[in-house]
Amino acid sequence: MGTMGLALPWKARISSTLRERGTRVEPSEHIAGGPSPAAVDATSEDAALAAACRSGDLRAYERLYAVHGARMKNLARNVLGNPVDAEDAVQETFLKVQRSIASFRGQSSFVTWTYRILINTCYDARRSRMRKKEVANDDSEETPRLEPRAPGAHPTLRMALERALEKLTRHQRDVFLLYEVEGFRHAEIAGMLEMTETASKNTLFQAKKNLRQMLEPPRSSAAETR
Amino acid sequence: MNVTCSDRDRIFEDGTPVEWAALETHSVSCPVCAEEVRAWKSLSVVAKELRDYSDSPSFWPRIERALAAEAARNSQRAGRKRWFSFLPSISPLWQTALAGALVLALTISGGWIYFHQHLDQGQNDKSLLQSSALKEVESAETAYERAIDKLDAETKPQLENPATPLLANYHEKLLVLDSAISDLRAQAGLNPSNTQLRYQLLAMYQEKQHTLEEVLEARQQ
Repeated sequence: MGTMGLALPWKARISSTLRERGTRVEPSEHIAGGPSPAAVDATSEDAALAAACRSGDLRAYERLYAVHGARMKNLARNVLGNPVDAEDAVQETFLKVQRSIASFRGQSSFVTWTYRILINTCYDARRSRMRKKEVANDDSEETPRLEPRAPGAHPTLRMALERALEKLTRHQRDVFLLYEVEGFRHAEIAGMLEMTETASKNTLFQAKKNLRQMLEPPRSSAAETR
Repeated sequence: MNVTCSDRDRIFEDGTPVEWAALETHSVSCPVCAEEVRAWKSLSVVAKELRDYSDSPSFWPRIERALAAEAARNSQRAGRKRWFSFLPSISPLWQTALAGALVLALTISGGWIYFHQHLDQGQNDKSLLQSSALKEVESAETAYERAIDKLDAETKPQLENPATPLLANYHEKLLVLDSAISDLRAQAGLNPSNTQLRYQLLAMYQEKQHTLEEVLEARQQ
């Protein structure tokens, strides 16, 4: 279970499908060799998508939405805490991509760049919401309002995790959401959050350690249940 | 490959598949590591609870409308910018030179307008005397004043010892006029270009002249 590593080279760009796994390991950096044909395909698809978006083709944006829209919205919802703000953030991200596609130089993958814009847009929205709260002299609680979502198997556990995530640092939360929830690889996350792959791995480790401490039941009650 | 409890955190952070397999093997005989591995994996399982990829059919049409509206605005802006489309083809050095020339032209024309406005304002303001006219007025005034002083000298004996009440009245009137002339001259000294003061001073001199002439006539009678 713990060794469900994917045999994809680290240079592979963001895949269009979600990867299902338990505890992931990324063995690819330990494997010598050039990029696989799948990685080359992903790269050329990414470049083609960027070029089509640059030409102003709305169908290219539709393709981007078809492939990444659900993940983008889910990520935004997990950062912002509710689906309405999440949809606004995703729409704003598409508009920002359209406005600044001319300045995209291809230093990272187009999709990585898009997710970076999404994450920044989400945090802008969070800040703006907090400012509004302060002005309204409302509840100054930093945690976003968590709204019910599609029924899950463990709603209590999920809510506990959402609350615990809010207590993490921004980077820890982002890395955890991108890696564990959205299934991105550390190489991709490094591009999105402008950090090194090693920093991404270390941040995830710290995030999970903190989450474990927060979610772990108190020793005494744990002993009682046994 | 053998791993120990001390390798656990390193493998959690950046373990290879082989190292993970070794840790799991080790966990079979180590309850502490078994619990840690279970807890570590359970976080990944719980994380999946945060996935909700339910589709909302109206969302893409909404984004599409926003994108189309933005594209329309961009094309309008591009139409307006076409006037300046030659600019990018000019090198930055020439663009700087062009901007500098424009600033210079604006400065010169601004300065010219400012200078001429002030010149016109000065010419249009008739209440102020220019330096050449002022000299002319002052020399005429001095000559006039000397002539009146001569007249004053002629009437002085009668006025100092007035023989009639009429001459006494003239004497008082002349004293008042002299006082007024003295005040006006003091004010004209402070503000020499003020023509109004000069006119008032002239009127006082003329009044003094008439009064002195009347005194001389009264003496002849």
